[in-house]
Amino acid sequence: MDVLNIEYMIGLIPVLLGYLPLTLQLAGTGMVLALILACLFAVVRVLRIPVLNQLAIVFISFFRGTPLLVQLFLFYYGLPQLVSALTVIDGITATIMGLTMHFSAYMAESIRAAIVGVDRSQTEAALSIGMTNGQMMRRIVLPQATRVALPTLMNYFIDMIKATSLAFTLGVTELMGATQKEAAGSFLYFEAFIVAAVIYWIVVELLSKLQHYLEIRLNKAYSR
Amino acid sequence: MKKLLIAAGLIIALFTSSSLLAQEGPLKVGMSGQYYPFTFVEQDQLKGFDVDVMKAIGEEMGLEVQFETANFSGLMGMLESGRIDTVANQITITEERKKAYIFSEPYVYDGAQVVTKKGNTEIRGVEDLKGKTVAVNLGSNFEDLLKELPYADQINIKTYESNLERDTALGRVDAFVMDRVSASQVIKEKPLPLELAGPTFSQITNAYPFRDTEAGRALRDQVNQALAALRDDGTLAAISERWFGTDITRP
Repeated sequence: MDVLNIEYMIGLIPVLLGYLPLTLQLAGTGMVLALILACLFAVVRVLRIPVLNQLAIVFISFFRGTPLLVQLFLFYYGLPQLVSALTVIDGITATIMGLTMHFSAYMAESIRAAIVGVDRSQTEAALSIGMTNGQMMRRIVLPQATRVALPTLMNYFIDMIKATSLAFTLGVTELMGATQKEAAGSFLYFEAFIVAAVIYWIVVELLSKLQHYLEIRLNKAYSR
Repeated sequence: MKKLLIAAGLIIALFTSSSLLAQEGPLKVGMSGQYYPFTFVEQDQLKGFDVDVMKAIGEEMGLEVQFETANFSGLMGMLESGRIDTVANQITITEERKKAYIFSEPYVYDGAQVVTKKGNTEIRGVEDLKGKTVAVNLGSNFEDLLKELPYADQINIKTYESNLERDTALGRVDAFVMDRVSASQVIKEKPLPLELAGPTFSQITNAYPFRDTEAGRALRDQVNQALAALRDDGTLAAISERWFGTDITRP
């Protein structure tokens, strides 16, 4: 086995770091949109709003039941074949669309579980003092459900960051795409991919720290 | 509601008609960025034979060239969906592809080559691939070439998105098949224990594919003109000499 080319690895760090903002932009935007969508789905499903509930079930079933890469190909290459104007969907948009829908399907279910997990007595109490369904959700149920859902939602965010590595198949040069191209030029695969792996790892580690901090804050009301 | 529909129709018409107009923006060229020495990246710089030839063509046409990199499996989809105008990635002209695209004149003449790990005495050419596992790039023409062999059913073909050179050097597959030019280049310049096994076994000609539309045909004709000019003034041969030490742009 050859000795690791340390010099090459060090030279690669700033190059690959240049693509980290795009990776974070993809995952960050995807996460915000997925959260909004997932909350809507979860509420629709918990309250069993007619029609919307059925639509949500089909949506979740499809986007949880098919691989993300298949969905990305559908959005990016499939849609323009049907309507040529949809070529305006660029790689970045298609990636964010895919991440949003794919992960919102998963997240909707864990948010729904967290909502259902809030003790019945809480909802009964809220309704008994004359709160509407909406008020009850906003003021009583969702704050408590957030605390329960946070760790799994963070898990999905971490997963989403890593899922952005599929974007190069749509021509979006993010961290993974940049690494693949550099490795193809140097044939130093181990060196290139270990640098990329460590960058992903550090980002996820920082997020875990954030999660820990958020958990402590959300638990304040429960600690005595 | 009616107004909304009309507005939506107008917007769609606007987008579709603008794509029918002649080339006005930059020439958008797709490549994988992962096919040494044709297209690859070093320190964030896109380089390679295909990059240089395409830049020369752009200069000749008076058009700016904008390179779009994507995994090879995505490139044809990008061409199909109109996101790029052509692909500069050593695309071999095949019957299958000719049904879907129109091609420029060939700009590279090459042959298919079997490559093995250094010291492999069993495989001395394409006829020794019986019962072996052979790597080819996903979506490349080499898979079809192997399948055309009379003993194709005895070859275990494994398709790769990239990194097949490394897997052959590691012994995960017995051999890989690629074009002779880039295989020789990989062996010469990169730290992998590989060697050429026997002579080439099939002629291949590589060119630029375009969509079979009015705009695509017009663009193809312009590119052909530029290619002819670059061939005549020796630019094409010079670029080839620089990368390969030989002229691969002539049969």
